[in-house]
Amino acid sequence: MNYFQATLRKKLSKDFDIQNIAKLASINLSEDEQKELDNDLSIILEHVKALSDLKLDTEQKEIFIHPLEKELELQEDKLVESLTHEEALSNAPESKDGKFVVPPSME
Amino acid sequence: MSLQPTIGIETHIELNTNTKMFCRCGVVDTEDPNISLCPTCLGLPGALPVPNKKAIESITLLALSTGCEITRKGMFHRKNYFYPDLPKNYQISQFDLPVGLNGELEIVIEETTDNIQIERVHMEEDTGKSTHSGSGRIESATSTALDFNRSGVPLVEIVTKPVITSSKQAVAYIEELRQLAIDLNISEGRLEKGNLRFDANISVAPEGSSELGTKVEIKNMNSLRSLERAIDYEIERQTKAVEDGVEIIQETRHWDENKELTSTMRSKEGSADYRYFSDPDLPNMYLSEDFINQVKSSMPQLPKKQREELVDTGLTLKQANILSKSDVWIKSLYFKVHKQTKDSEASFNWITGELQGQMRKSSIEKLPEWFSYEYLSEIIELIKNSKISFTSAKVILSELLNTDTTPNEVAEQKNLFQENDTDKISEMIVQILEENQDVVDRIKTGEDKLVGFLVGQVMKQSNGSVNPGMAKELLLKKIKD
Repeated sequence: MNYFQATLRKKLSKDFDIQNIAKLASINLSEDEQKELDNDLSIILEHVKALSDLKLDTEQKEIFIHPLEKELELQEDKLVESLTHEEALSNAPESKDGKFVVPPSME
Repeated sequence: MSLQPTIGIETHIELNTNTKMFCRCGVVDTEDPNISLCPTCLGLPGALPVPNKKAIESITLLALSTGCEITRKGMFHRKNYFYPDLPKNYQISQFDLPVGLNGELEIVIEETTDNIQIERVHMEEDTGKSTHSGSGRIESATSTALDFNRSGVPLVEIVTKPVITSSKQAVAYIEELRQLAIDLNISEGRLEKGNLRFDANISVAPEGSSELGTKVEIKNMNSLRSLERAIDYEIERQTKAVEDGVEIIQETRHWDENKELTSTMRSKEGSADYRYFSDPDLPNMYLSEDFINQVKSSMPQLPKKQREELVDTGLTLKQANILSKSDVWIKSLYFKVHKQTKDSEASFNWITGELQGQMRKSSIEKLPEWFSYEYLSEIIELIKNSKISFTSAKVILSELLNTDTTPNEVAEQKNLFQENDTDKISEMIVQILEENQDVVDRIKTGEDKLVGFLVGQVMKQSNGSVNPGMAKELLLKKIKD
């Protein structure tokens, strides 16, 4: 951790739970990884927080943020043939009775 | 302490488009798995979504017809969660800029109307279907099998404000929403096919309290009956918990149709857990004034307006509501028959009662080609003019559903016309009274009910051709003389 990071880290108020984030993403993290990512994420969040210091023209009505300027195009509701059943399943590690098979997953 | 329930309902309506929401794979109704797929709805890397114009028109129509404000500049968001029925690991949905905001829907319960406030109407995509195999119980499944035919099918989600106060209101709301979707021709509206799926958020709080209690979400209600029972069950469970001082946990509960109870499914994710962010694959969606006007111009008559028209013909609100939720041909049949007969009550009763009843009984799905609405008008007129009895009318109707003929022909052939000639009937009555002097004496001493027996004798002797009302009247008159 360099000086800059250490200073940032000190200023942080912690508002996330790395274990919960790992759970939502369905990934296992070792304790070391948790510590590391906890630190990295804190720094990223702190950077992002800098945005709130920006002086924005709140009178402006058209605040609309999207990475693309382009307007969304819509497509007609007309069928286009695509993958066959066999093609769709061709990369599946496991399949049975025409269905993809994955490890048991429930909510 | 009296507790008041508060309910909000989230409904997903599957649209009846030909193709999916973000790709041009067909929307299919089949048991054959994984036959309508492409890289986009399979979530393969690099595949890009392009929205379905028809779906955007449909949701705009629904939002307009519920009086929502239309978001002219909207966008799509990614709702992230990790589950195999959603291979991208996110669902394309809408977050803070849904297509419609702040609408309302009029519902009818018996003879009163109510407005249910709608918070938002937004567009999203359906997930695939997963089946868990193993020894039956979901917890002990050994693998999960996936069919992605449904993945990407357009779904409209409509969320009410927490304004519903009973299971009856909830059912009336879903019935109304379903009819609206059918009338707008944006969905098949078939509950048994999952075209409409609903979740309910339920909480209880002391009556008059300005704050709502902790809300519990109920899932897996797949019929109106289960919606009603699940809500009633949950209100009772929460009321008892509060009364016993047990804390209610914010969670999702599962309605068990067989056991008729709700049980914990999982603790509820907060909206933050879905890590919504704008979908970089989908630029901003602008709905132009032209587009909105064009959608507006395609709007058919709404159920609310239909009910008003039906009430204007003389029906009660309850009757009008029943008709407004019937098939199009039934509504139009009513208007035609009523126009001829000017008798709303008889038109309504004959169509929704006897006609539909006989059709159901004989498994007739469509009126036969030869069956003219004028036949119903004629039948109603014949009864009104005492030309035929109610029982004969039913016989005539049944014949008309099976044979290409007319009411008059059937009445003629089956000898169903009633004898209305009072002289002829009087003659017959005199004879019957003579033959049954003992009964007459008993009637004179107060056994009024025996008149029915004499009416029966008249009907028998006349082969049912006498109007029984008239026979009774004449019998009583003669006996008193």
